[in-house]
Amino acid sequence: MSEALPISTAFVREHLRAPLTLALLVAIPVFFVLIFASVLGDFAEALGGTLASQSATAISAGWAAAFLSGTLAFFQISSSRGADRRLALAGLGPVRVALSRIVAALAIGLTVSAVAFLTLWIRSGIGHPFHAAVAIFTFAAIYIGIGALIGAFVKGQLEGSLLVVLIFSVDAFSGPQMTSNGLVAVTPTRNAANLLIAAGGGQGSPGGDWIGAAAVALAALAVALAAFWFAARTRL
Amino acid sequence: MPARARTATAMAFRDQLRRPLVLVLMMIVPAYVITRSIAETLPTPRQIVLPGEIVVTTTMQDLHGAGMGGLVVAFVVALVGVFVMQSALEGDRRLVLAGFRPGETVLARLLVLICATALVVAVSVLVTALNFSAASWPPVIGALVLIGLIYGAIGALAGAVLDKLAATYLILFLVFTDLGVVQNPMFHTTPGRFADLLPGYGPSRVMYDGAFSAEFHAGSDLLLGLGWLVVLGLAVFFVQRRAVRAAT
Repeated sequence: MSEALPISTAFVREHLRAPLTLALLVAIPVFFVLIFASVLGDFAEALGGTLASQSATAISAGWAAAFLSGTLAFFQISSSRGADRRLALAGLGPVRVALSRIVAALAIGLTVSAVAFLTLWIRSGIGHPFHAAVAIFTFAAIYIGIGALIGAFVKGQLEGSLLVVLIFSVDAFSGPQMTSNGLVAVTPTRNAANLLIAAGGGQGSPGGDWIGAAAVALAALAVALAAFWFAARTRL
Repeated sequence: MPARARTATAMAFRDQLRRPLVLVLMMIVPAYVITRSIAETLPTPRQIVLPGEIVVTTTMQDLHGAGMGGLVVAFVVALVGVFVMQSALEGDRRLVLAGFRPGETVLARLLVLICATALVVAVSVLVTALNFSAASWPPVIGALVLIGLIYGAIGALAGAVLDKLAATYLILFLVFTDLGVVQNPMFHTTPGRFADLLPGYGPSRVMYDGAFSAEFHAGSDLLLGLGWLVVLGLAVFFVQRRAVRAAT
């Protein structure tokens, strides 16, 4: 891990070397929460959901963290496949490359989640801030897994980006914030969304949602680790 | 069209066609998002003001039907713009070194972008028509084409000057701000004070006018949208031509 940490720092710098990327990583969560959330209460009502405005606002923070982290994880693999293989061949090994990548992805995901959480807290206040913070970061962790999985198997960057958009759309439209239809209760962020909605509305959550969200997030991170390893391993 | 430009165009199309997943996703993403958004929306009454101060009472469901096509077309075509132009920067520099004129290679990529716009708009119109009846389809279709070309040009510019990740984030930010919130009559009866400074203002006014009125009232909005298209189209041509030439 001590060898992987400096490499993780370098991987973070690699993605944030463009100042605009860093600015957008901060601006988009703020934008989603402040502007989009101001209209999301009416929007969710029109879509047949049953959310109060404050809960609808909370969910926008999760969406922002999810999309930004998923896209980032996809580009981490897609843009760096060649460099990662060379790093692995040069002695770091695919496992340490994968660990470094996932630490970098989690660091950026944590930053985006923190920005979204703070904006939400300042704008609306949160009844259960700790629950909300965990839920927002869970969104980010789940999408790191989704983005990395797509990146491991889809080489083209256009098709990979469109796949992230498609999965995000399916997830968002099927979430509890948008529909009361229980038939589509198997989307990846459903438990995290339940946690966030409850926290936004000042309520606690049942143990089932916590276990479900933790299980999906851990599975997603395991998938991400496997995907980063798969992309960095040597082909003979 | 000179033989070299024809060759560059044929190669640019072949480059896209050898990746069938792109074509499939360019159809599935709009089809899914439009169908699902209309299906999930309740017919809650909503009053909006069209160009020419025409007041119309409609429903949130119909507003979603009318507007979601524009949002999806903008997002998908802008992403195509980002990546078509990024791959052009890599491959077309070699073509220029081999004797092609920079303008010929850029023209080939622009034709790919125009065809991508046509495909995404065609799917969006078809899917929208299955779920929503516009009062007048020609302005709606024209506006969707205009939105696609404007945002395709913005994506191409972003792809030419920014890193892929930054370009993707910028597109997300711009499309959702402009078409998703500021121009969207689900949230505002009329677009806000500074809405006309954004590129989606003209075409989205034309789109909603066609969706809810059998008569056309959005001539000035159409001209504004065409103005954006001309300026952005020229900017893409010159920026991309310079980028391809700069490496030689």
